[in-house]
Amino acid sequence: MGFELGGDEVAQCWRDVGDVMASGLLRVLLYGPPGTGKTFAALHSGVTRTPAERLVCTEDLSTGEITGTWMPAASGSWTWREGPAIRSWRADAGRGGRLVVDEVDRASGDALSTLLAMTDSPESARWRNPETGDWVVPGPEFSVVMTTNLEQLDDLPDALRDRFPVCIRIDQPHPTAVAQLSADLRAPALGGSLGESSRRVSLRSFYAFDQLRRRVGPSRAAHLVFGEHARNVLDALNIGALR
Amino acid sequence: MSVFPELVTGREDDFGVRAWRVERGSTFRGEASCNLTERILEVPLGDDPESRVVRAHELMHARISPHSLEWARHFSDVSPRALECAEELRVNTLIGRLGFDVSLLHDGSEKIGGRRLGRLGEWDQAVCFLLAVLATGAEREYLSGVRGERPEWMAGLRAVRKRSLDLLDATSTEVAGSTAFDDDGVPSGYAQVTVVLARMVTQAMAARSPQGPVALRQFRRSLEPGGRRAPTGRFATLCFDEPAPLIARMRTGGVRRPRPISSGTVMRYPGRLLSDPERRAFVERAHHHGGIVVIDQSGSMDIEPDELQRLLRRAPDALVVGYSHRPGDQGATANAWILAQRGGVAAPRAGNVGNGVDGPILRWALAHRRGSEPVFWVTDGQVTDSHDHPDEALTDECARLVTGSHITLVRDLAGVQRAMRTTTAKRTRDHGSFGRVGRRILENTRN
Repeated sequence: MGFELGGDEVAQCWRDVGDVMASGLLRVLLYGPPGTGKTFAALHSGVTRTPAERLVCTEDLSTGEITGTWMPAASGSWTWREGPAIRSWRADAGRGGRLVVDEVDRASGDALSTLLAMTDSPESARWRNPETGDWVVPGPEFSVVMTTNLEQLDDLPDALRDRFPVCIRIDQPHPTAVAQLSADLRAPALGGSLGESSRRVSLRSFYAFDQLRRRVGPSRAAHLVFGEHARNVLDALNIGALR
Repeated sequence: MSVFPELVTGREDDFGVRAWRVERGSTFRGEASCNLTERILEVPLGDDPESRVVRAHELMHARISPHSLEWARHFSDVSPRALECAEELRVNTLIGRLGFDVSLLHDGSEKIGGRRLGRLGEWDQAVCFLLAVLATGAEREYLSGVRGERPEWMAGLRAVRKRSLDLLDATSTEVAGSTAFDDDGVPSGYAQVTVVLARMVTQAMAARSPQGPVALRQFRRSLEPGGRRAPTGRFATLCFDEPAPLIARMRTGGVRRPRPISSGTVMRYPGRLLSDPERRAFVERAHHHGGIVVIDQSGSMDIEPDELQRLLRRAPDALVVGYSHRPGDQGATANAWILAQRGGVAAPRAGNVGNGVDGPILRWALAHRRGSEPVFWVTDGQVTDSHDHPDEALTDECARLVTGSHITLVRDLAGVQRAMRTTTAKRTRDHGSFGRVGRRILENTRN
């Protein structure tokens, strides 16, 4: 996986994430500008056995996509297929796994209500399987990491905030992710994620630019990746690279 | 169109990577800026070539300019305005080396600005601003404006221009743009280029604009590393030291000085029976406790503590001030100090090489004179400007103060004691031994 949350060169936000994960805290909210590796960390950090389940919230996200839905079977009957939230409750032979909820601020009211139930404390959370009538509760090691690109968490419902006592603002890409870039782009990539939204240059853009410029040169690569901003991005990179 | 200051990295100091705020500026002078303390970049956001090069200029500030001036105390001899303008030159030079078209850096106001500085006679500002526009599209227009009002300044400005460009040509981009701290904790590119340029320009600002080949040669030499500062033709600003603790002295009798009186026991001045309308032919020995003593402490004109003590036994209430200016100093070093004040005495201190404030300190002494108490000037007769060059006009100014306000010239503190005992005013011809001031007094008397 190659994703280490530690070391002196790691920004404070990532050290905070590492400390929280290591402490066994099971509810964490990561927020901040896009392209800094929040989801990557949520999917991989502290996940050792079963792969994490992932939900990407949109306005159209339905309750069924969270907990499960009836699906037609070949026999003409219907079978219940559990959604990612319940799968992560039961994961790892009932011990519970990791549920990652991306862009939680975009979830509609119905979906948000369901997410509140799914992310409630282990003592309160339970769900009845409509096919078997069995009650299901989250395994003892079930954990949730939510992410959002919001800069102010006041826009999130209080009930949701209450379930996530630790909220960490991720304002820099993780050095491990940045290290995959060519050396001259690593520092700009760290800085590029910090600008306001209209000026933000995500890590993904840098990956693309780095790969393209080897084949078509920096000017053409910048044009393809950054569009109308190409010249200004290149000017900034050239001035930064002053030697 | 947008601008990406967060992508400008590569600094080797402790600036760190954080978000910037971008505000819309324009290509007009003063309407684009880079605030490194609050990380605010004000730049034009247009798609035109002029806007692009102004953006590059401000981004270069973000790349190389110091974000803290805590170490600025190291450069107290350098004008802050000169530092600003020299930094502009460093930035413009480096963006030019990266291929940006610095000929586009002009907004059409430069000619008017140059003309205005010429009209106001602000040579110092004219020299300083030259650095800010040097090697950009604004330089020609600016110099044209100055030339229109002050053609006599052009030789000096050309000398500053050449020296600045020579210095930059001899400096690599790596050195000029370095933000690594040097041993003094100053970004090395700033220290090796901006400060060196600013120090040179500060001297040129303080100097007189050179007129004639001799003055121009002297001016050019002053711009070289280690070159002697060029003449300024004016005194430095008087800058008193913090008041030193004064130790109260035992009061003594002071000087018993004879003076004529119309009655008494000894007829000392019989000639006055004929010449003095009040017929003051008798003598009275009156005690004098005070007086003002101004001591030139430049170079070899230092004082011995014992001599000061002896003087104060004669004149316990005297006000004694020392002065000496550090050539080129901008006010960071005191150039005047109280040695004794109406009964208290401070520890003597050493001077600062030059004179530099002869005129201002004499005026200060006259302003503090009580009634007709005597004022003594301990001097070798040399009068120098703020760069420690002898100057005829300043010498004349001091000579007129001496004669007009009856200031007594003496060579040393022992001479002050002798002068305190006599009522006879120093004869004009005695001034001949006091260097330039003395000679000027003689000339003025003859004329």
